[in-house]
Formats: sequence, structure tokens, C-alpha cells
Amino acid sequence: MFTSALETEGLTRRYGRRTALDACTLRVPAGRVVGLVGPNGAGKSTLLQLACGLIAPTAGRVTVLGARPGTRLERVGFVAQDTPVYAALSVADHLRLGERLNPGWDAAFAQKRVAAIGLDPRQRAGRLSGGQRAQLALTVAAAKRPELLILDEPVAALDPLARDGFLRTLVESVTELGATAILSSHLLSDVERVCDHLIVLANGRVRLAGDVTALLDAHDQGSGAGPVRLEELVLSYLRGGVR
Amino acid sequence: MTWLAWRQLRAQLLVTGVAVAAVAVCLVVLGLQIRDGHHDAVARCGDACGQALRGFQSRFEGRLYLADALLVVTPALLGMFWGAPLIARELESGTHRLVWNQSVSRRRWLVVRLVVVTAAAAAVTGLFSVLLTWAASPFDAVAADRFTAVMFGTRNLAPVAYTCCGVVMGALLGLVLRRTVPAMALTALVFAAVQVAVPMTVRPHLAAPAHGSQVMTADTIRSLSFLGERADVEGLSAPNAWVVETSRLLTADGRTVDLDRYHGCLSGQFDVMAQCLAAMDLHVDVAYHPGDRYWRFQWLESLLYGAAALLLAALALWRIRAA
Repeated sequence: MFTSALETEGLTRRYGRRTALDACTLRVPAGRVVGLVGPNGAGKSTLLQLACGLIAPTAGRVTVLGARPGTRLERVGFVAQDTPVYAALSVADHLRLGERLNPGWDAAFAQKRVAAIGLDPRQRAGRLSGGQRAQLALTVAAAKRPELLILDEPVAALDPLARDGFLRTLVESVTELGATAILSSHLLSDVERVCDHLIVLANGRVRLAGDVTALLDAHDQGSGAGPVRLEELVLSYLRGGVR
Repeated sequence: MTWLAWRQLRAQLLVTGVAVAAVAVCLVVLGLQIRDGHHDAVARCGDACGQALRGFQSRFEGRLYLADALLVVTPALLGMFWGAPLIARELESGTHRLVWNQSVSRRRWLVVRLVVVTAAAAAVTGLFSVLLTWAASPFDAVAADRFTAVMFGTRNLAPVAYTCCGVVMGALLGLVLRRTVPAMALTALVFAAVQVAVPMTVRPHLAAPAHGSQVMTADTIRSLSFLGERADVEGLSAPNAWVVETSRLLTADGRTVDLDRYHGCLSGQFDVMAQCLAAMDLHVDVAYHPGDRYWRFQWLESLLYGAAALLLAALALWRIRAA
């Protein structure tokens, strides 16, 4: 196990003239559930897609589990934004896909998860609700037993009940796998409940990064104004009010 | 990975399978009818066989042209409906982000999918071509035109090679354009252009043509499709051979026919005209590929399209890294 799950150094990605990610340097320790928070267009998706090798950096360096992204496919699970699944394939077909395409596939884990979520294996994925689809995508990503699980805005499109179910599944899966998880959201409240490490991005730059408890402690001591809520802390960094 | 490639092709395969089965039944029936018709024509013609065989040809040429036309467009259709969506639909629906994050590299993913889809498409076209070649063989033996520009691409091996090229071309265009419908349209357009350009510009040069001269008898002149202002002719055919170039009408000493005398013949009835021209003892120089080169050309053209397919596949594999 590497001590850092994700490391970037001066990581930059431009789309034409627009800079989505600007000289981003950070280190995500292994074994954490990491919340990646920032407003829309902050560069969260870009950072995560760089981490799983879907896109290549314009400049800088990114290392995932000690290797170049995309070279250790079997060790990284990725749940993309809007949780894409094959509409024409059934739930069982998706598990079969996972089994055929991943040497480390844990069929028992996948079966158990699908049963726990209450998905009908014969159901076509195109007929699933948003929440069920997200759960299926998470199951496929988790059952390959990755060391790092990356989730891009997994709950953005879900209603509160589905959101709650998804996050519970996520925490259970990560605990069972002993994996690191990074999940992004534009709402802190989505990830606050489950994450113990926080990265705040805005305008393509890292505004705040660290273990949640350490961040809160440091702030309490620095300000002397007593305990703050994480939300206030993040907001103040996003506004640039705290130096 | 192979399982997934088959699974994703299943729906298209079922639809195409039904169409192919229907076409196959029609071709078998047509082939049996052609055999009967040919047998009848030869059995009772006595010494008027030319007449009987012409009747046999006109009886079946309509249906065969229809089958030829269908086989001509099959590679383009497979390129559009099987090739173009292969990558473009994944990019459109976002499922590439699912499948490229399994433990299979995206290059291997593409290789397997291309191989499976291209092989299935080649099998479909192959079956079609084999059945049509079989069904039409008595007719083709009489018509002796299998080397001509259109017929060449609707018999034996060539349609299979066209299909491989069409499918890979569709996949590559889908990868570049990232959208299914524009990729389908462009595939149809580019592939049609290639299919027109190759028989006109590339195929005649696959081997150096043989040269000869053809005496213009009244019968030969009647078989022409075009007689030009300047004594140029078109539509000269020779049994089984492929005429690629024809000179103007020449006199016995090798010079172009005197145009005044030539125009003098052109007026009046076609039959009278043919007699008039034949009386001038004319000939044309022709560049042609003799009939025994047929299989050499089938193989060369198939290799050409096969190589093009491999090149396009290599481009797609290079391009998909950055997609």
C-alpha cells in the first residue's frame, strides 16, 4: 500500500484557451474518504479524469498509487459523472461485463451488493431510476476491488433518499475494500457526512486541503473564536476571506 | 472482452440476420430459376442458340441487377450502421467512461471490438457474395462480363474486402467526429467516393494493360454504346476481358478515320450507319486486361482494401489514446 493515493505537481489542463485546472499541487493520503468540493466549473471533473487517465495533462505531473494514470487500470475504480451504464444491457449483463473485464472481480461482493440494493438482475439498465443506476455503476466500480475508488459527482442527480442510500453503500463498500475513495460534489453537504479528508477547489486552484479534523482544529486555534462548522470554513476559503 | 463485443453487437446482428436470411432465400430461389431457365434455353435452341440465350438474359437481368445493387451498397450500409456507432455511440452516451475504466486498456478494447464487428460484417457480406456468385454463374457465363467495372465488385472476394474497409472507416470517423449520425453520413459519403474512384483510377493500373486491335465489323459497331463527333467510341466490350482504353476509329494504315467520310456515314438509320462504317475497314487500338487476369485482380484489389482497413485501424488505435 502506497502512503499516497494521489499526488499531483503543478498539474495543469487547458481546453483551448480556458484553463480548467491551474498548477494544482496536492497529496491525497491513502485510506481516506476524500471529499473534493468546489463550485461548478472549479475543475473537479478535470482533476478526477486526469487521475484515472481519461484525459492527459497539458502540463505538470500526476501519480496514482505510485504510477502514471491509466497504467494500473485494475487498481483504480471510476464512477463517471451522470453514472453512465449501457441502456440496452441488463443488470446481470453489467456484472458479467465487470467479471469479463477485470481479473480481480469479486463476484460474491457484486451479487451481495445488487441484492442489498434490491436490483432485479434481469432489469435493463436503461429502465433503472437515477439512484439505481448510480448504485449499479458504483457496484461495478467497487467489485473489481480497486485500491482507489474515484467518483465524479455521483449524487448530484439523485433525490435525497437515493443520495442517502448511495452514500451508505459507498461507505460500506470502501470499508469492506479497505480502499481510498475520492468523491466530488459542488455541495459540501453531500460529502461532509462521509469524508474525513477535504479538498476545496475554485477556479482551477486548490484553496484548502487536509484532514477534516485537522482543518477544524487549526482554524479554531487560529481564530480563537471557538468551534466553527465545516461549511462556514469552506465558504470562507471559497470567498478568499481566510488567509 | 470478446463477450462484451458480441453482446453489444447482438441486437444489430439479429436485425441484419433476418434481412440476410430473407436475401439468402431469394438468391437460392433465383439461382435455381436461372439454372432452369438456362437449361431450357440451351436444350431446345437447336441452331438458334444466340436468340435463345438473349431471351434467357433479358428474363433474369432485372432481378440480378437488383441483387447486384444490393450487394454494392451492403459494405457502405455495414460501415454506416455497424462501423460508425462502434466508438461514436460510446462517446455520445458516456459509456466510454465506464468501459475504459475496467481493467482492459482502451486499445485492447478497440482491437477486440473492431475484430469482432469487422469479422461479423465480413461474414454477412461473404455469405451474400457467395450466394449471388453461385446464383448468377450460368448468367455470367453467357454475359461474359464479370470483369467489367460494376460486376467485378459484386462477385467473389471483393465485396468482403470492401466491407472490412467500410466498417473500420466508419469506426475511425466515429472516433474523430464523436457523434453517431454525422459519422454515419460522412462514412456513406467518403466510402461512396472511394467506391467510385477506385474502379476508375486505381483498378486499371493494378497491372499493365495488354494492347491489341479490334476490327470494327457491323456487329461490333452495333454493340457500341457511343459514337462521338471526333470518331471516338465507347462501350467496346470483349468476352470476359476488361477494356480500359479505346482509341478513335482508325483506318487500315493506322490513322484516324477521315472525319468527313465518318460524318457522312453517321446520318441515317443505325443499321445502315453500321454497315457504312464497316465498309470502311476500320479498327480501334484497345488497352485491355484479358479474362485470365480476373482472379489476380480480385486478390490485388482485396489486398488493397484490406491494407486500407489495417491502416485506418492503426490510425484509430493511435487516435484513441487521446480521445
